Amino acid sequence: MTTTTAVPAGTPTARRRPGTASVLRWEITKVAAQARSRALLIGAIVVPIAIVLIFNTQLPPKDTIYGRHIHTSGYAVPLFVLAFAHQWVLPLLAALVAGDIFANEDQYGTWKTILTRSVSRTQVFWAKTLTAVGVNLLVLALLAASTITTSLLVVGTQPLPGLSGQLIPAGSALPIVIASWATAVPPVLGFTALAILLSVITRNPTIGVAAPVVLGMIMQLLSGLGGLNKARQILLTTPFEAWHGLLTAHPFHAPITTGAIVSAGWLIICLALAYPYLRRRDITGG
Amino acid sequence: MLASCAIFSVRAMSDVLAVNAVNLTKTYGPLTAVDDITVQVAQGEVYGVLGPNGAGKTTFLRMLFGLIRPDAGTLEVFGRSWQRHGVNSLTGVAGFLESPKFYPALSGRRNLRLLAGLDGGDAAARINEVLDVVGLTDRQHDKVRGYSFGMRQRLGVASALLRDPRLLVLDEPANGLDPAGIRDMRALVRHLADTGLTVLLSSHDMAEVEQICDNVTIMKAGSVVHHGSIAALRELAPEQAHRITTTDDDRAAELARARGLEVSPVDDGLAVRGPQKDVDGLIGDIVDAGIALRGLTRDETPLEALFFMLTESAPAGPTTGLDAPTGARR
Repeated sequence: MTTTTAVPAGTPTARRRPGTASVLRWEITKVAAQARSRALLIGAIVVPIAIVLIFNTQLPPKDTIYGRHIHTSGYAVPLFVLAFAHQWVLPLLAALVAGDIFANEDQYGTWKTILTRSVSRTQVFWAKTLTAVGVNLLVLALLAASTITTSLLVVGTQPLPGLSGQLIPAGSALPIVIASWATAVPPVLGFTALAILLSVITRNPTIGVAAPVVLGMIMQLLSGLGGLNKARQILLTTPFEAWHGLLTAHPFHAPITTGAIVSAGWLIICLALAYPYLRRRDITGG
Repeated sequence: MLASCAIFSVRAMSDVLAVNAVNLTKTYGPLTAVDDITVQVAQGEVYGVLGPNGAGKTTFLRMLFGLIRPDAGTLEVFGRSWQRHGVNSLTGVAGFLESPKFYPALSGRRNLRLLAGLDGGDAAARINEVLDVVGLTDRQHDKVRGYSFGMRQRLGVASALLRDPRLLVLDEPANGLDPAGIRDMRALVRHLADTGLTVLLSSHDMAEVEQICDNVTIMKAGSVVHHGSIAALRELAPEQAHRITTTDDDRAAELARARGLEVSPVDDGLAVRGPQKDVDGLIGDIVDAGIALRGLTRDETPLEALFFMLTESAPAGPTTGLDAPTGARR
């Protein structure tokens, strides 16, 4: 059944409202104009280069996964960096834009500026969410590309030792390393959604950025406790370790599948809480 | 500040109210921010919503823009309601609430370009014209963080005009401006109103509303205490008050009472209220009585006096001066 709503005479003729793509373009333009966003993207390229060069001159950190191999295989270095990054760097990178993207409108008092135009809250929500997701995927891709490229150039393309003691030939190692970094995509998206939720609810950019990192660290601590095997599976930090299964003699993918499902669950729940909250909230500040 | 306004054209009026808010209520916990108010603004009117801080003016305007939801009542803008038409109810409506806010790290022009992207249509093509109207062409490339308060207010007007509105909603547009800025802002609003725009203006300054508006709703503590035309309001207003300081205030007070003037002692003399001719006569009486006149100043204007009477003494509740839904339609 369709219904029509009569528009009274004398009502201004509706100009064509901008679609969500226009709102997305607006948000991307705004984020791209921010110095912090540009610094984030540049940092994702430059910082891995510095890290690889620094570690190349240091004694290998043997207590970290792949730490002992960073001087013997260029393929080991990106995995060592990935293992280190997932502890707090990736949650932080995920939260830098996502934790701020809604709350900064509260900080600047600009919700009223945006929402008195011809766009709905739904359009704004999805434009901001897609922008945060896009930026975070781009940052992760740049981080991975910079780390892998620099490692191979600085250390070399020697075969990669596997986690079962096997030696993975150089030709097979690169796809595995790339796939390992790709397994970080679902939990990064999960942390993005968590940061969005906190950004929407707290309306505070500092909490939106810092809280996901703190929560990630708490999850890391919880996952280290004994007797929490079932609970460990639903923590958002666990999927960051799913790549380990790719590097055994007989690769197993169940942790990747589980990690993707868990991350999707976090993403859906966080966005499902954030969206109606934004739609219903009264815009009173500014 | 004023420039060519050719882009704003007079359009045909109709019986559809520009704003039709009926029995609107909004509460926050125990606080009733807006209490069962009815405000109706006809197309082409320049309408003032007047009240002291905390009267509920901005809450009402936020409901008009759909930024907050009323708990009760209905609100239509050009016959469209937020509940039925969503964001389409803002078609033809533009303005700003409290002080307009922009992205401080971007230039004024960049901010307008971003907002034009949210307006659709030909909004982007109007940027130069609206910058010209508000006199910001020379500073358009400066970052907004370097703008003075007055420049931000003007940028707020420019961002509203981008939407080619038929209803311009301005919340305290002269707030925080210096005297020259206030003069320019009032002239701009009046100029825009003369082009046929419907203007809904909130203010706590009676003089501002008196200069700009045709009709007014006065609010106090969330309720409407009066609405009607400015002309009708003038009829209700008391006489002009004067402040007189003499060398013998007691004797001067007797002379004032003898002329039938209303007299009350104030810190630095007497407050005298009554027809201007009787006040003029009193001055002569004082001089004839050998009393030295040390000071004579006009107190608040009659409308200001009425405003204070309505918003400071009268309990919020039933409205006065009503015989039709809106003074404008009487």
